[in-house]
Amino acid sequence: MIKFEQVGKRYPNGHVGLHELSFHVRRGEFLFVTGHSGAGKSTLLRLLLAMERPSSGKLLLAGQDLSHITNAQIPYLRRQIGVVFQNHQLLFDRSVFDNVALPLQILGLAKDEIGKRVRTALERVSLADKAEQFPGDLSTGQQQRVGIARAVVHRPALLLADEPTGNLDPRLAAEIMGVFEDINRLGTTVLIASHDLALIARMRHRMLTLQRGRLIGDGEAA
Amino acid sequence: MSATRMPPPQPAQRVGAAPKKNDNPKSGDEPDLRSQLNAWLESHRASLVDSLRRLAKQPIGSFFTCLVMAVALSLPMGLALLLDNVERLGGSWQRAAQISLFLQLEATDAQGQALREQIEKMDDVAEAEWISRERALDEFQQQSGLGEALKELPDNPLPGVVVVTPREIDKVALEALRLRLAELPQVQQAQLDLLWVERLSAMLKLGERFVFGLTLLLVMALLLVIGNTIRLHIENRRSEIEVIKLVGGTDSYVRRPFLYMGTLYGLGAGLMAWGLLAYGLAWLNGAVVRLAGLYSSDFALAGVPLADGLSLLLGALFLGYIGAWLAVARHLNELAPR
Repeated sequence: MIKFEQVGKRYPNGHVGLHELSFHVRRGEFLFVTGHSGAGKSTLLRLLLAMERPSSGKLLLAGQDLSHITNAQIPYLRRQIGVVFQNHQLLFDRSVFDNVALPLQILGLAKDEIGKRVRTALERVSLADKAEQFPGDLSTGQQQRVGIARAVVHRPALLLADEPTGNLDPRLAAEIMGVFEDINRLGTTVLIASHDLALIARMRHRMLTLQRGRLIGDGEAA
Repeated sequence: MSATRMPPPQPAQRVGAAPKKNDNPKSGDEPDLRSQLNAWLESHRASLVDSLRRLAKQPIGSFFTCLVMAVALSLPMGLALLLDNVERLGGSWQRAAQISLFLQLEATDAQGQALREQIEKMDDVAEAEWISRERALDEFQQQSGLGEALKELPDNPLPGVVVVTPREIDKVALEALRLRLAELPQVQQAQLDLLWVERLSAMLKLGERFVFGLTLLLVMALLLVIGNTIRLHIENRRSEIEVIKLVGGTDSYVRRPFLYMGTLYGLGAGLMAWGLLAYGLAWLNGAVVRLAGLYSSDFALAGVPLADGLSLLLGALFLGYIGAWLAVARHLNELAPR
């Protein structure tokens, strides 16, 4: 599903985000990427979302080489990916339903199909009764679940999450992780960037550990 | 709060799984052509409604933006309409370039009529009118105010005249026509007063050039107004655009609502400009009619012709669209998700 081959990222100011990173993620896998702030977790996610290009090496996502992807191809790549952000990135002037429906509207699905899929996605995150509310009326945990519903509503092959539990208390964080595991069981590859080692340890999934842009560990969280 | 754990995976629900071979191709992520067309239309409808909603949310701001554009549009259009009216006031080009053929005094009325018919058959002549000696004297008496004095004359001193209206206004062609007409029998003198035609032509050309230059300047100003307005809308929606791009929105998807917004500004401005011109000309017309009345003329300003009004509206729509397109194109690269 994801293949990093000696991928490096160097910024114009000389800062090196990633040093010749190599690893492979199978389809349907659930893994964490962890490390301290500045370790390169976000850079890795940005490369996968084609928000940045690798400076060296080869990065393959579902067989597509992201090192040479054109600007016109990027939207179509992103349609295969769901993203969950720490700050949710919800549109506060749109209802929960409209927020979740956004990827489907972009895909150009019919209104009926959008309605069905949004309701299913909201049911999966237990927010079916909040569809007509606005994100500002919801709690932080609920907002995060809206973000997850939006990330999976278009049935992406890959779900990326950047510190999705960063603002949540431990109980809510565990619940959100439970939702990610449910999504993973349905076949989606899930990659979560997090520095919450205690939470990761409880989940017992594969964990990549980054330090100053280098991969220093790859194995199941202990 | 509690997140309900989902049931075990069902093949039909598999998120992100590749579609099975026996899946109905019309029920998955591959909508048929009709559904795609409907979705495309729905997307346009949604963009249009969203743009209208956003304009309606800021009624005063939207109104003044349209008003500024309308004033900029109505200035060159108004001047062009005034020039048309001036041209009409000065008579048509053909009338302005008439050639007067003064016949010999002994030419009879029948000869004059025959000459008129002969001239009217010429290819480069649009019209020819015979003014007999008697009619010429009558008109002169009425217009000169010398009626009584002229009655004292033993004979009518005025010759018969054939007034020739040429088809085309070209200095060389007119001069050639005048020379040909001068050689006709009974013609004593052929007179073409080109000086005032040339003066009027020069003035109107100057006016047209001025209107053209003003139009260019105001079109640029309009594009800047639209561009700046759309830029502010883009800034206000930056986070929304970033999210749209992150979930797979193409540049055209991002651009669409702004194009509708620009076009709607153009529509509002076009309608306002049409209204301003119609009202302005009607308001001016009262004074023009009074002034013309003092010169025994029934001249009145023509309003905004339907074709001109529609052209104005279409031009405004086009400018709104282009202005928005340029603004979004300029800022699209800056809208990459951060």
